[in-house]
Amino acid sequence: MSDTVRIDGVQLEVAPGTTILEAAKLAGRWVPTLCFDERQAPFGACRVCMVGVEGSANPLPACTTVCRDGMNVSTEDPTARRVAGAVVELVLSELPAAPAPHTELAQVAQRLQVGAELRWPGAVHAVDHDLEHPYLAFQHELCISCGRCVRACDEVQGAFALTAVGRGFDANVAAGLDGGFLHSSCVSCGACADTCPTDAITEQLLLVGGNGNSAVAAGV
Amino acid sequence: MTSERFTSTATTTCGYCGVGCRLEAHADHGRIVSIAPALDGPANEGHTCLKGRFAHQFTRSRDRLTSPLIREGKGLRVASWEEAYARIVSELTRIKSQHGPDAIAGLASSRATNEDCYAMARLMRAAIGTNNIDNCSRVCHSPTSFALRKSLGLSGATGSFTDIDHAEVAVLIGVNPTQGHPVVGARIKQAALRGTKLVTIDPRRIELADYGVLHLSPRPGTNAAVALGLCHVVQRDGLTDEQFIAQRTSGYEAVVELLEAYSPHAVQEITGIPAADIERAAHIYGEAASASILWGLGVTEHKYGSEVVQLLCNLALMTGKLGKPGSAMLPLRGQNNVQGSSDMGALPDTYTAYRSVADEAVAAQFEQAWGVPLSRQKGYTIPQMFDAAVAGKLKAMYIFGEDVAQSDPDTAHVVEALESLEFLVCQEIFENETTRYADVILPASAFLEKSGTFTNAERRFQRVEPAIDPPGGARTDFEIITTVSRMLGHEMGWQTPWDALDEIARLTPQYAGLSYERLGRHGLQWPVAADGTDSPTLYETRFETADGLGHFAALPYKAPGDAPDNEFQLVMVTGRVLQHYNAGTMTRRTHNLDLVDRDWLEIHPDDAARLWISDGDRVSVRSRVGQTQLYARVTPRIEPGHVFTSFHFPETRTNLLIGQSADVNTACPEYKVVAVDVRPMSEQPAFTPQLVSA
Repeated sequence: MSDTVRIDGVQLEVAPGTTILEAAKLAGRWVPTLCFDERQAPFGACRVCMVGVEGSANPLPACTTVCRDGMNVSTEDPTARRVAGAVVELVLSELPAAPAPHTELAQVAQRLQVGAELRWPGAVHAVDHDLEHPYLAFQHELCISCGRCVRACDEVQGAFALTAVGRGFDANVAAGLDGGFLHSSCVSCGACADTCPTDAITEQLLLVGGNGNSAVAAGV
Repeated sequence: MTSERFTSTATTTCGYCGVGCRLEAHADHGRIVSIAPALDGPANEGHTCLKGRFAHQFTRSRDRLTSPLIREGKGLRVASWEEAYARIVSELTRIKSQHGPDAIAGLASSRATNEDCYAMARLMRAAIGTNNIDNCSRVCHSPTSFALRKSLGLSGATGSFTDIDHAEVAVLIGVNPTQGHPVVGARIKQAALRGTKLVTIDPRRIELADYGVLHLSPRPGTNAAVALGLCHVVQRDGLTDEQFIAQRTSGYEAVVELLEAYSPHAVQEITGIPAADIERAAHIYGEAASASILWGLGVTEHKYGSEVVQLLCNLALMTGKLGKPGSAMLPLRGQNNVQGSSDMGALPDTYTAYRSVADEAVAAQFEQAWGVPLSRQKGYTIPQMFDAAVAGKLKAMYIFGEDVAQSDPDTAHVVEALESLEFLVCQEIFENETTRYADVILPASAFLEKSGTFTNAERRFQRVEPAIDPPGGARTDFEIITTVSRMLGHEMGWQTPWDALDEIARLTPQYAGLSYERLGRHGLQWPVAADGTDSPTLYETRFETADGLGHFAALPYKAPGDAPDNEFQLVMVTGRVLQHYNAGTMTRRTHNLDLVDRDWLEIHPDDAARLWISDGDRVSVRSRVGQTQLYARVTPRIEPGHVFTSFHFPETRTNLLIGQSADVNTACPEYKVVAVDVRPMSEQPAFTPQLVSA
């Protein structure tokens, strides 16, 4: 049993339950993502993986939309790309500095060609660092609330040390009762730093010994 | 994530525990700066623990050995490689001519690659002429190897870690995966959160017990009675797979007869586990469509450890829970290459794939390949080596990658043995307790600096690739061993470890299809057929015993080698913690030390109150053979009457407390049952080195 879908004109057979994002990958087509990590269940929070689907009035998120038989998908649908670009631009507008070039956020922004000039300047997050843990560094101002670290902690490691906190502009991530990694149930596995798309959580060793392309090393 | 932050990246296999995580090791101008999990690693699936990911700074520790050292008078001095090699060759040649080849022994290492271990075994067998070769799996999973071969045929897990994902029930006995095997621990926890029922059996209430449906706390040393009790209920209540028993096994009748004596009430008397819990555990396991059994050193490091593994095999055999998805027997191996070091024949009685040194056809095959006559005589096991050294029969040892004076039991006896030797070579990355007695110390390389293969706990050969060069004048173990062999007159004829792998494949039918290319990124699980087909699941249709049947073993419970009495009232169990690794040689030279800086003695609140011990107090711990000092951690996770400590810090020398009692079949030490006397220390003597308080 399989479903037939078309992704940018490429026809392929997929197993029932396959998401559009998975099908696009099989078809060799790129879909921008920000809150997605293949090690975690799809979350559908960031709205960057939008694609056009024939017959749908609005773009749909590729990571959480399951393929239907006969579905015709356009990954480069202009409306979908405009939405994705705007989301990334809004995310960038809250950061006090451009994300380091190696981060997933910087790479998605570059690919979507946004961020060189921000149309909506305004309030940016205040620098707030927690460097107490020997390996893990928190740079809270870089948090975009994608939830990947929280889900890595829950779904990959099972330490349940991280929590989403705050609302709106103040949304962020906290370890334990916001006392930092060392005072939480953190087991220092580093899955959060591994998945973080902005270096809001990163490795201390990369900050100290790195090449100065992170916010801390750059003295932001 | 790719980036210009790194000048090179090597995809390799972790050198800490036996899970075998695939890693992307990123270096910047010759220094490891970051390690990330490989997303396609079959064992770790994009995850790793704090040891694999962060504990790499030891590679550039200023303590690293970077040039050979040789003994001169009472001290050691820096020497050139030529001088060190010359000393080794002249001393080994002298001892061999004066006392014969059996006066020399070598130790390979479960930390090293398969190719290093194979080369070391060949060095002892072909260049020296003795079967005195063993490795540190002797002191951890040799009972597992012995028992699995007896019961099922092959010395390895019957399935793969993926079986954990498919199991309806997982029984964990004598293993604490979230501490000892963190990535598998995380996998088990996720499975439990999805609905897999966990039954945990351990004297301590391990973390996974909180995610399970039932926890049993047996008295240390009574695992056999637990296994027999489970089998009793399974048999009594008809939870057996009669067809499987009839078609695929032998020896069941004797077991049924034996089981009569192990009613849940009888087992409660021995183990302290409530009879009702034995009944429940047996039903949870027996009624499941698929169930796996996982165990660790809490099963093996006992006087009857190997027998307990055989009894666990009985349980799987009588319920037919073998050879199918979700129903596996998974021993969690302690070190990265415990599986491989023994597979490679770094053992006193076997060549590769556990073929006996007395087997004429096998020995002849190796004689032809190596061009030298080979001994058919079994060599010494590690404990026998120490006994022989003390008795004056063993004159020289070549130890690589094992700190026997820290890790092995009865430290005083080990030290006496090392002092008795005329000549000791240590091949290490750091000086340690054992190198104090060395005549020559050779600076070797860590797993991030060498190539070859490790074999993980699911029998998976995986590639190891160098991410950085060995520091200073240090060299790879492979280069050192092959050079020593050449200088002793036996040319192994290999340029790289991959040439050795080719030889291993050529001379071992079980590994026939192995090659560098075929291993690729994902490795291969042995047996590997000549066409490269590997074996994620064993025994789907037949067992690998001589008659193709699974063998039941009718083995009664017997009391452990030590027991509490009036003088030594508590039973001590030892084990690992998440943040450190074995003798701590590597992890103590990283920031893991900031997370845990000492060994703790876990003690139940009732015992602590009775002994006037408070949390954080310094206590004295005395056994029949030794004494040490520790800080107490009062916790209800341990049962009253038991205490627990780790063995990561040389300041503690936990193994001073361990006696000579060992597994009856494999000589694996009984680390897990030691009667001790614990008491508070009224004041701290001035000579005690003070650690920074936590």
